[in-house]
Amino acid sequence: MGFLKGSVTCTRFQVAVDLPEDFRETARDRISRYAFRKLEEDSDQERTMGWVNILDELQVGFYGDEMFKEPYLALSLRVDVRSVPARALRQYCREAEEEVKSLEGLDFLNKKRREEIRERVRGQLLRRVLPRTSVYDMAWDLQGGVVLFGSTNSRICDAFSELFFNTFELRLTSLYPYALAYQALQDQGMDPAILDEAQPVLLAGEEAS
Amino acid sequence: MTLAERVKRTEFLGREFLVWLWYRSETREALFDLGETGTVELWFEGKVALEGEGEERGSEVTCKGAGSRLREARYALTRNKKITQAEIRMLKGDDEWSFTLDAAWLDLHSLKTPRVMQDVREDPDGLFYERMFLIEQPIAVVQALFSQFIRLRMSPEWRSEEQPALEAWIRKGE
Repeated sequence: MGFLKGSVTCTRFQVAVDLPEDFRETARDRISRYAFRKLEEDSDQERTMGWVNILDELQVGFYGDEMFKEPYLALSLRVDVRSVPARALRQYCREAEEEVKSLEGLDFLNKKRREEIRERVRGQLLRRVLPRTSVYDMAWDLQGGVVLFGSTNSRICDAFSELFFNTFELRLTSLYPYALAYQALQDQGMDPAILDEAQPVLLAGEEAS
Repeated sequence: MTLAERVKRTEFLGREFLVWLWYRSETREALFDLGETGTVELWFEGKVALEGEGEERGSEVTCKGAGSRLREARYALTRNKKITQAEIRMLKGDDEWSFTLDAAWLDLHSLKTPRVMQDVREDPDGLFYERMFLIEQPIAVVQALFSQFIRLRMSPEWRSEEQPALEAWIRKGE
């Protein structure tokens, strides 16, 4: 479920730099460069990912400023993946190997030959598989610098951080308790360095770990 | 210190925050005055997950209930179990939210917001803004509560007043 419907699960990141004045103009081109592109049907590409309109995940490409919803820059990350089930691949490979052995009058196929057959069969089957589509929403508050991303899965978050960096040339910093505590102490005029001295308290009945 | 090391070294902050939040909600009628963010009612309801440390690492306990019915989870706290996540309900004005808060990252999971009034076909941008407003509300509340906790946790009052009261509350769960 995305930000617009149903329940939401999200991770927070921080972009810790001031954006240049021409950010909006350059962002439009950068986003288009990393917009989602479909898997080519006659290729054996297994995965593709890129940005789509947060209001329409099926819209491929951007036509204007639809990504700017002040103060947010809002996009969705669309990931399409297709793969051949291992069991089907084994079965079709076995059939293909038997066919080659029969055609060429061979009793045995060496490892290299079997790998060639496996790759050919995998490519053929892959073109018959429909991709699975996953969409994760992102809302970047351009004033506050906080980015909400609609997943807590570390693999997806890493892929998102990488695409974000490739697109905007900006690093995302994870917001986790230490970072939030550091910010909170700074905002309250306290010295955040005291955090490094803090030790866990032993609550009732707990043993030191 | 790398990010992973720092997360590990300071993960107790998130755990202690969840225990403190639970204690405060049970002993102060679930009411929290958050200054600019307003006043909210917030309480533990649903599942509380805890896990063992040291030799008991890997042993997990999940308790389900509301408010004082979560006694088993409080008892688990006295048996060297650390809280990892909790289901929380929040009321602000007439609006109600529910979500699961995890101790390690303070991320919100399965957040359910109040129903939105906008229609996606009539006004898609209106729907976006209304939903973002409703998603940002509990995030701002958790951030404000965590700020309150950290200020207290790093003050002398923590050791002299808050920690003894918190420990006494946990012991009542035995």
